[in-house]
Amino acid sequence: MNTISVKNLKRIYKTTTGVIRRKTKEVEAVKDISFEISKGELFGLLGPNGAGKTTTTKVLTTLLIPNAGEVKINGLDIVKDANEIRKQIGFIFGGERGLYWRLSGIDNLRYFASLYHIEPEVSKKRIPYLLDLVGLKGRGDERVEGYSRGMKQRLHVARTLLHDPDILFLDEPTIGLDPVGAREFREVIRDLQAEKKTILLTTHYMFEADSLSDRVAVIDDGIIVALDTPSALKKHVRDLSVVEIETFGIAEIVVNKIRALPFVDAVSTREQDQRQVLLVQTERGAEAVPDLMKSLEGQRVGRVTVREPTLEDAYVRLVGGKS
Amino acid sequence: MSIKNLFRYWRTVITVAEITLRHQWNDSFILFAVLIQPMVIAILALFMLRGTGDNYAMFVIVGSGLTGLWSSLLFISGNSINGERWQGTLEALVAAPLPFDVIIFGKNLANVVQSLLSMTASYLLAALFFGYSLEMTLPLLFFSSVLLSIFAFISFGLIIAPLFIMYRGIQQWQNAMEFPVYILAGFLFPIALLPGWTTPISYILPPYWAARALHETSTGAGDLSTIIFAWGMMLLFSFIALFVASKLFKLMLYKARVDASLNTE
Repeated sequence: MNTISVKNLKRIYKTTTGVIRRKTKEVEAVKDISFEISKGELFGLLGPNGAGKTTTTKVLTTLLIPNAGEVKINGLDIVKDANEIRKQIGFIFGGERGLYWRLSGIDNLRYFASLYHIEPEVSKKRIPYLLDLVGLKGRGDERVEGYSRGMKQRLHVARTLLHDPDILFLDEPTIGLDPVGAREFREVIRDLQAEKKTILLTTHYMFEADSLSDRVAVIDDGIIVALDTPSALKKHVRDLSVVEIETFGIAEIVVNKIRALPFVDAVSTREQDQRQVLLVQTERGAEAVPDLMKSLEGQRVGRVTVREPTLEDAYVRLVGGKS
Repeated sequence: MSIKNLFRYWRTVITVAEITLRHQWNDSFILFAVLIQPMVIAILALFMLRGTGDNYAMFVIVGSGLTGLWSSLLFISGNSINGERWQGTLEALVAAPLPFDVIIFGKNLANVVQSLLSMTASYLLAALFFGYSLEMTLPLLFFSSVLLSIFAFISFGLIIAPLFIMYRGIQQWQNAMEFPVYILAGFLFPIALLPGWTTPISYILPPYWAARALHETSTGAGDLSTIIFAWGMMLLFSFIALFVASKLFKLMLYKARVDASLNTE
């Protein structure tokens, strides 16, 4: 039996405006998603902003009711058996929110331990163990408001492990962390993997998904566009090369012009300080550079490099260059 | 909330209350709701009742303490749910396997206990600055009434909490909910002064029976039988409030999960 099973999940948000003439607007955040996660697997969920990653995670963590579909965790139904499921899962939503800043780290953990009905004798031992595990030993008595972003994230991990859940949902846990903090956090995730926890990880960072996930689902506009191991996903772009062109203040119209070129497969841009790096996927590799430069005439262009594709490029191709 | 859950999770209730108190005492609004506002009401009422005797002063002290208690429940408990939403902790609370009303019971316990300060402050104000000789007529029965009133106010507060979970904009209505309870529960003057049609509404409010028991035991206006009757009614309507609250919590939490209103994002 799979630990997590999602079949034809659909979730719509309704917003209303106006007092007398009320207008209702519907947004289909998740259109039709199906996947399964087996015990001990780390499953990555990738997608651009608004693709439906967080909505999917919130349904799985019992915080949202699906409009249609069947979601089961350890064979339990997400709507009918929400309370039983809550005992078996833990979750972290990215960012600094979700903690009591005016309380110390230890008081935060004591509070959440009481909500999971953990006996005080047990939590007295477990809290120092977890603080040590996440690298906050000796800092537990300080108020959370004085913690760095990375420390807050690590406190989130300690909070979610208080009741030792077998299933973890990590929604963009490294968002906003500095590179060192993110690397340390990935080490924590690896430790959890080694403990055979079943983990669903949503992330924007391809490197993170590539290095941590057993399988990755790419989600776009509420549907899964690809689901495979990271190495199999990379095969989607095996026949392509990526031309990286450094530009300064390039207009969207020029990007669209390049996107329309017959030999171009996908184009995305990456902001880097005050530069925009154009990432052009093409079968022609270095041969495409002169034609690309012709299309960029009149633009300020910096360094140009040609490289092999990565998982990120596979992702860009799958979501149509939206990143 | 069921009484079974209250006994089962009593330790959680105490921990939630303790940590809520610690968290809240870092917020200066507490000083206003718990001390300043009830003292202003007490000063106004004591000036109005000057020369009317010590019993009236005691009535005012208990009454102004009750206003502090209700304001604290309405504003601090209510705002704390919206505060949880803003700081992103409401989802973590809802996703805990514990019944949500147990958590709110603990939070309300903290608010009610800290609000007893209102009554103490009003008492000291009347004794030290207005020179009233304040003696509790039935001290043991008064303190028993205080304990039962804590339960009554917490239970009544639990009915309001689900509305704060469901409706983000309910804060606009908080002021409108404050004075009707002061008046209908007879905190500062007897409900006999109100039109007859309001009396049944007063009777179904646990704070009314709490106010009656506290007034009767502090001023000596009631005998043992009327006090016991007030206790019985207070408990009866408190249990009804707990039952109604548990149904409302289930309904509102389900609706909040449908409408995605547990977070601000």
